[in-house]
Amino acid sequence: MLLTEAEGKVLFADAGIPVPPARCLSRQEDLSALDFAYPLALKAQIRGGGRGKAGGVLRCDNAAEAFAAFAAIMGSRFAGEAPLCVLVEPWLTIARELYLAVAVEGGSGGYVVLYSPQGGVDVERGPSPLCYPVGLPRDFRAEALRRVLKEAEPDPGLRERLIALAHRLLRLAEARECLTVEINPLALLGDGTLLAADAKLVRDDNSAHRHADLAAALERALAAEPESVRRSAEIGLNLVWLGGEIGLMSTGAGMTMAAMDAIDAAGGRPASFFDVSGNLTPAALGYAFCVLDDHPEVRAILVSIFGGGTHVDRVARNLIDILRAREAAKPVVLRLHGTGREEASRLLGAAGLRNHESLEAAVAEAVARARA
Amino acid sequence: MSILLDERARVVILGITGRFGSFSARDLPRSGTRLVAGVSPTRAGEAIGDVPVFATAHEAVREREANAALVYVPAPIGLDAVLDAIDAGCRLLVYPADGVPVADALEMRSAARAKGAVLVGPNSPGLISPGKAKLGFMPSDCYRPGPIGLISKSGSLSYEAAWRLSQKGLGQTTALGIGGDPVKGVTAAEALALFDGDPETRAIVYLGEIGGNDEYAVAQYAKTPGAKPVAALIVGRTAPAGRKMGHASALIAAASDTWEAKVAALEAAGVRVARSVEALAAAAEGALAHSR
Repeated sequence: MLLTEAEGKVLFADAGIPVPPARCLSRQEDLSALDFAYPLALKAQIRGGGRGKAGGVLRCDNAAEAFAAFAAIMGSRFAGEAPLCVLVEPWLTIARELYLAVAVEGGSGGYVVLYSPQGGVDVERGPSPLCYPVGLPRDFRAEALRRVLKEAEPDPGLRERLIALAHRLLRLAEARECLTVEINPLALLGDGTLLAADAKLVRDDNSAHRHADLAAALERALAAEPESVRRSAEIGLNLVWLGGEIGLMSTGAGMTMAAMDAIDAAGGRPASFFDVSGNLTPAALGYAFCVLDDHPEVRAILVSIFGGGTHVDRVARNLIDILRAREAAKPVVLRLHGTGREEASRLLGAAGLRNHESLEAAVAEAVARARA
Repeated sequence: MSILLDERARVVILGITGRFGSFSARDLPRSGTRLVAGVSPTRAGEAIGDVPVFATAHEAVREREANAALVYVPAPIGLDAVLDAIDAGCRLLVYPADGVPVADALEMRSAARAKGAVLVGPNSPGLISPGKAKLGFMPSDCYRPGPIGLISKSGSLSYEAAWRLSQKGLGQTTALGIGGDPVKGVTAAEALALFDGDPETRAIVYLGEIGGNDEYAVAQYAKTPGAKPVAALIVGRTAPAGRKMGHASALIAAASDTWEAKVAALEAAGVRVARSVEALAAAAEGALAHSR
């Protein structure tokens, strides 16, 4: 889960990483009670990136500007997302913007420390950051990072402060189970102080069972999702709405994406990424049909299941019962393959249902039925 | 030959009495695999068919000389089970569970490497060397012995792909599921190096998706002088940015995560990239025709 800047900076402060004083405001009138001196920075709090370039960070030199900026930010959407609140901080006079991050890098089997002497909104367009592959957090060695930083930062005082900061980021990443902890920009002030002007933290959702705060945050995020997505997650199904007309129900992330791509290639548009492999019980499958039947844009349903551990003959039995009891008239196209496929075809055939031999044939049929 | 797994494997299933465990207990012997032991802390002393059940992996290794472990233990408690199997002396491990914390996956990977063991997974159906042995739960009849080294991030997609390759007479030395998590016991780069060193593997088929960096490791390999020819299929062309598509790392967050960027990098490296599942066998045939 990507944290907002405000959430991230709370964790920074807790980990001894210097941050500017800040207030997170959700009501415009709260600006009046602020005890900060102008100029101020007003910053949209969203979970996506690219905020700076999209006008989500505004400088305000007086109260009138601050009220206008607050309204402008809360009235905007950034990459489709409405801001949760506005973070207000003193406007920083930055001598130089740096970039410092720690992140999990699968290829190197652990964390890497990334540093660039030129940070800021265009960091991705600059040269690749310097990289110190740490491995497990406990394998961090100051001397190894010192060697990496030597060329880029000749000032030994700054270098040592960066090393200490990197170590704190890594400890924070370990303690809170973060996949990424990034400071961009890391502000170098005129007096040589380092301050985290922004915070980007990605926490590992799979660790929520041992972090009550993360579990609660995920719960809140799920509560904001549509009922169909929420209920699906509760029963072990994975649903993402895509906006097309073919309701796709499939097993496994890879095969579901392959079917989405095939629908697109055949001239249709998938309505859903709906991975039902987590729960193929009659109740869960029945619910999946209800969701697709109730969705007004879905015009045909494609069930594509390639069973490994899943026995598709059992799935076929469940499908037959569900389709018999179902009242909706949306066409359903089936393709069950893998373990138990011959028995599945026999059962479906006996029930007057067709099991398509190939994904392409099933997709073509679903696209045609959606148009009819 | 094959990579990592052959008929010499003596397999222990951890969690043999659970749903997946009891399925594999019946299924593995049918593919010629020597299943020698099971582990269940609560049902030690029993037998599943003629397979004895022990309380710990250590006992299974000591009593039955098990050397390969299939670990069916849920993600929140999987780390201990995998570390136990490594400590007991298993040299090849498959950990299929989905939802493993990255910190745990890092510990598993690190422990395996320290002991000279190889961990496949997490979030993987395992691996199969057709005609020899299987350590996982993929449907065996999708696979045939042959010259293709198959690497996949996705389980379900690998069954479909293997089925189609096998139908066209393109069998596999080994099919290896590396998993869709950001931290893998065996990465794409490591899987490629293993297939590169296997004389019977004449071409490599890679099944990837949006998100993560593994596809760039495949491109890197394909550019190496003397590399074996590679065919690939990348899924998720139609996935929206910023939404996780099931797998933990199947998420478009940066330009390098997109289907377009990955396909461009692979093609620039000489990889034959199939545009659909249907086109994969032809791409694999093309790769095989260029093997030395």
